[in-house]
Amino acid sequence: MKLNSMAAEGNRPGKSRLNRWTGFDTAVTAISVVVCFITIYPMWYVISMSLSDPIAAASGAVAFWPVGFSVESYRIVALDREFWQAFLNSVIYVIAGCVLMLFNTIAVAYPLTRKNLWGRRWLTYYLLVPMYFGGGMIPSFIVVTKLGLYNSPWSLILPGCYSIWNIILCRTFLASLPPDLSEAAFIDGATNLQALVKIYLPLSKPIIAVILIYTIVGVWNSWFGASIYTTDRDIQPVQLFLRNVLVSMQSGMRADTQTGMTKEVMEAMAEQAMTARQLRYAMIVIVTMPILMVYPMFQKYFTKGVMLGSIKG
Amino acid sequence: MKKRRKKLLHRDLKDNVEYYLLMALPLAFIFIFSYLPMFGLVIGFQNYSVGRPFFGEGVEWVGLRHFEKFVSSYYFPRILKNTIVLNLMGLFMGFWVPIVFALVVNEIRNGKFRKFTQTVSYMPNFISTVVVAGMFLSFIASDGIITQFLELLGIQAKSLNANKEFFPWFYTLLGVWKNFGWSSILYLSTLSSIDPSLYESASVDGATRLKKIWFITLPSLLPLIMIQLIFAIGGMLSSNTDMILLLYNPSVYSTADVIGTYVYRESLMGGAYSPGTAAGLLMSILSFILVFGANWVSRKKTDFSIW
Repeated sequence: MKLNSMAAEGNRPGKSRLNRWTGFDTAVTAISVVVCFITIYPMWYVISMSLSDPIAAASGAVAFWPVGFSVESYRIVALDREFWQAFLNSVIYVIAGCVLMLFNTIAVAYPLTRKNLWGRRWLTYYLLVPMYFGGGMIPSFIVVTKLGLYNSPWSLILPGCYSIWNIILCRTFLASLPPDLSEAAFIDGATNLQALVKIYLPLSKPIIAVILIYTIVGVWNSWFGASIYTTDRDIQPVQLFLRNVLVSMQSGMRADTQTGMTKEVMEAMAEQAMTARQLRYAMIVIVTMPILMVYPMFQKYFTKGVMLGSIKG
Repeated sequence: MKKRRKKLLHRDLKDNVEYYLLMALPLAFIFIFSYLPMFGLVIGFQNYSVGRPFFGEGVEWVGLRHFEKFVSSYYFPRILKNTIVLNLMGLFMGFWVPIVFALVVNEIRNGKFRKFTQTVSYMPNFISTVVVAGMFLSFIASDGIITQFLELLGIQAKSLNANKEFFPWFYTLLGVWKNFGWSSILYLSTLSSIDPSLYESASVDGATRLKKIWFITLPSLLPLIMIQLIFAIGGMLSSNTDMILLLYNPSVYSTADVIGTYVYRESLMGGAYSPGTAAGLLMSILSFILVFGANWVSRKKTDFSIW
């Protein structure tokens, strides 16, 4: 054991005293630190700004740490009903999306691993074709409209509630499990569904975790579908709300209100001499933090997912 | 024997009914949202208006007229040029970053710092394009931190977001920032599967770490790098429509407009469904040819291919 921990791991020297710190190590560390800084700094700056005193924030005094300390921006965002409505909508879309995605993935992937499935070959073609061809933006829009889903929350849930990529990922994973498992179960008299629920699902935690994190992030961060399929503000997801507040103002797409914020919010801002920038940053923090808190927990599954996906066929 | 076979067939039948019941809903979703739009492509050859069917009565066929119109329009060369320029810049500025980053991370001695660097590098991938674009636009606004910083250096930086020369740089750098960490996962996991005895015997021969990277690590990555390069070249005509839609504005259309943004703006918002479908289809066909071409050349020349 001891010897093992002293040994080199790949090209990295072990912890033995003979392996001294070299200029090479310094360079590696320096590059890593710079990369970490470039990656973290924008988000860090946004957090610092959102927590700074309004006057300091407006005068450009914030560079790294918050200057003064104030949670006013968060208090004002808390008043914005439209923001929280959109936030809640997104939570609902994520939950619905995850449930449907898991079902749709496993319900196709599991039968695909069974050797006695009729038409398995054709089914594989049926899945492969949409991976290379698609109708594109406008035909998809017309189909959604023809189904009567325009301006319905379902237009934000159903078109993205399956992923052929995930099905193939999941099938590859299930096929890598030993086949004796299900045979033993069938001898014991288990039905197909029992074998799936009792034997395969408990072993599939890694792939379920991968699909879940992809779906959570995908649905939470999506705005494009909502921008073409809906106009009703009551059902808009939080990213679309954010786009209207963050982006449209700069490009002059929205002239109806100056900041995209409601009247109560504008009044509260004026009272605090607060700039719209700080409020927008507070919203960014509220919307982004849940994801940034969650993803490190799934990290060990990322490699698994990426490797499964890179296997051909 | 016969009885057994009959029994097996009976079991197959029962199994298959169960399986197809289980698959019914997802397969229906795939049909509706992936296949129906493909049939919808026929409107590129029609004068479609809202509420009409794709086939049958009342359909006005116009052949390739929309295609011809698009190709001879002033937009087609601009879109083609922008798409290729943005992708080439992405390739030159972005392709090598995850590889070099993976090599660097792989050399970090301290396990905790190595894991921390990796975790941090994945972060931008989890931040939405809306937030990335929104943060960036506010940073380059007249009172934004980037503008302030440039002014501190004595560089006049006025309305950066309206500067059409800067747009491709902004788009490319944001893309690199957002994706380098996530793209490095594939390289890193390949690195961890390299046989350690290779490094050990090289050490015995007195190779430095830099030499080992050059002679062991990089050659082990080469097949993967080639495959990624084929993908990148095949994807030369596709672009991140989401990000451009969020970042651009009318003053930078001349360097920012790509097929997705063009179709979104001119057709979807403007209601010209048939011309937009034709334009989108044409670019998809060109893109498809490119993917196949890249793959074919690679298979002939290097033995690496996707199919």
